[in-house]
Amino acid sequence: MPDVWWAVARSEEVSQSRPLNADIGDQPVVLWRDAEGIVRALEDRCPHRRAPLSLGCVLGNGMIQCGYHGWTFDGATGHLEDIPNLKSKTRFPPIYKARNFAVAESGGFVRVCLDSKAAPPRPVDETLPLSGTAQVTLGHEHFIAALFDDPSLVIAIRRVRFTPYLMAELAEQDGRLVLERSCQWATPHWPAPFSSDFPITLRIATDPVSGESDLLLRDDAFNPLLRATLAPVPAARGVTQVRWRARLESGRTGINARSMGFGRGSPFCVLSSVDAAALRILKPSASIHAAALRESIATAAQSAGAA
Amino acid sequence: MLETRDIPPADGYVDPVNSDPKAFAAMVNSWVPHDIVLKDAWFPLAHGFAVTEKPVRRAVYSQPYFLWREGGVAVAAEFHPSDRLTSGKSAYSNAAGRYPVIEKYGYVWCWFGNPDNAAPEHVPSIPYLPEEGGLPVHMLGTVRFDCTAPLSLENLIDLTHADFLHADVVGDEKMDKETVEVFHDSESITMVRTCVNKSVAPIMKWFGGVRADVQQVRQVIRIYLRSHAAIAYGRFSPGDNVQLFHPCVPETRDRTRLDYTMNTSNVKKTNPFRYIMPKASYKVSRQDSSMTSPQSPRYMNPEKRKDLHSPLDEAGQKYRVLMLALAERQARGDYAYRDNVSADCSELIGYDGT
Repeated sequence: MPDVWWAVARSEEVSQSRPLNADIGDQPVVLWRDAEGIVRALEDRCPHRRAPLSLGCVLGNGMIQCGYHGWTFDGATGHLEDIPNLKSKTRFPPIYKARNFAVAESGGFVRVCLDSKAAPPRPVDETLPLSGTAQVTLGHEHFIAALFDDPSLVIAIRRVRFTPYLMAELAEQDGRLVLERSCQWATPHWPAPFSSDFPITLRIATDPVSGESDLLLRDDAFNPLLRATLAPVPAARGVTQVRWRARLESGRTGINARSMGFGRGSPFCVLSSVDAAALRILKPSASIHAAALRESIATAAQSAGAA
Repeated sequence: MLETRDIPPADGYVDPVNSDPKAFAAMVNSWVPHDIVLKDAWFPLAHGFAVTEKPVRRAVYSQPYFLWREGGVAVAAEFHPSDRLTSGKSAYSNAAGRYPVIEKYGYVWCWFGNPDNAAPEHVPSIPYLPEEGGLPVHMLGTVRFDCTAPLSLENLIDLTHADFLHADVVGDEKMDKETVEVFHDSESITMVRTCVNKSVAPIMKWFGGVRADVQQVRQVIRIYLRSHAAIAYGRFSPGDNVQLFHPCVPETRDRTRLDYTMNTSNVKKTNPFRYIMPKASYKVSRQDSSMTSPQSPRYMNPEKRKDLHSPLDEAGQKYRVLMLALAERQARGDYAYRDNVSADCSELIGYDGT
């Protein structure tokens, strides 16, 4: 999937002072900010002796220097610019380069595409203030399926309980997989199977390939209570790295909605540990149609491209 | 500006290094060190003091070695002495399950290969270690590298890495001039690095009493290919000479044991450098492992992409080719030593007894 944009870091995780390692599947990536503050991404593998560039340092000129032998690379092109011990201003042949990747930063996420010539993704204007990163011991596909089938296994929203009931089953909308799940407040209440109405819903809109998802929690008057974006990225050894950002909306009405803002820590989070016993017996429900929907979205995209 | 020059080996040797440049480059880029298992070699499996009446266990490529003393004499066997089952005996030991053993330079050396081919003249020459051993224990130590042994040695023979990875111990890359010379034969490779006005090694500044800002440096790395053993001899002016024996025992194909000797008996007893320098290995080895450990899995399988090289990598490239040539010879059944590894190499490394 070379043309997919993966949100491999939150903006605040990438700095000019220290390189950051990330994975896209088995592809190691190193990220840093150059002298102008622009995020750069190269393969986290020095082409000299295959050492991780993320163990090196960012120089004052914004280039990255391998910590092993000092080979120094330009982030924009990946070109080798210096071998300090050579003590010369040698120009290196074009093949002397590290593999470079396309980078885009918006909405508080740093997105990387393994195709360095990929067209940039549509920028996101808004940066949600709350954020976090979770390393989930669950494969990317299973993480998204769990999000569809039982969000309580992978996320938590303060004061909110997810029910097994959907207001809208998984369907394609504007090229994304969208569903809306009924939720209850975490207060004593009539059990969900016997409730005629639910006070809140959680809408999940997911990119069919990257799994990047926009979550919107609304009350029964359609007032937004909480927005969040989850960016699951497949990492090494079947781990999924999930970066997320969220915002608790102002103007929430009702005691339950207002109480979402009380308490320590974030009102939203992605869970690092998954209840494996519950996951194992979780029956596929909303996710059952995901594969077919992904296929139809991909087919439609191909047809549109051909046209 | 770096200068490199190669000294051709002795006449009569069909040299893989100085053959067709394309073939040389192809060998350099076919480097899969995990696949190399060289046989018929002595490995220094333990410091002499570590072998007592109570057996200790060591390994070479997972082949078990139990070492102990009988009447004060070191012996090695494939089986623990309390385990008399020898039905699974390998071809590496004799009918009694014993390995050939030699005690020299303060180490118990064991033979890995056909026991009939074991010969004392195949123990490498280490000019600055007393043959009878006996150096104080503070000059000895054990560290481990989380990588395959050839990568650890390729790391060692490419000393430019030290300017970056070990700058806080041995100094950075700042110097006026650097010259690298490479010598080799079929069983060894020697790299001589001469640095003019190099930043003084911090460890010498802090503990060795060196007050100057720069020093003249001549560093020699000599690797005995089959034994995966290296000598690292450095002459520093001003400063004390450094005499390190650096044997990389491949306990498995991905982990390396180093029972080192840092002979600082040339340093005055009142100089803290004499006692601190041998301990630097604990810091330096972890710094090396921080790079060679992630490197190691990336060299586990053949890779289509070629490594990039600079003129500074000449010694490392030749090390690769010589190792591959030796492995290729052994694959053909040729285990003979074409060059004498026990011949005194003092002159070659520039060791004059100090």
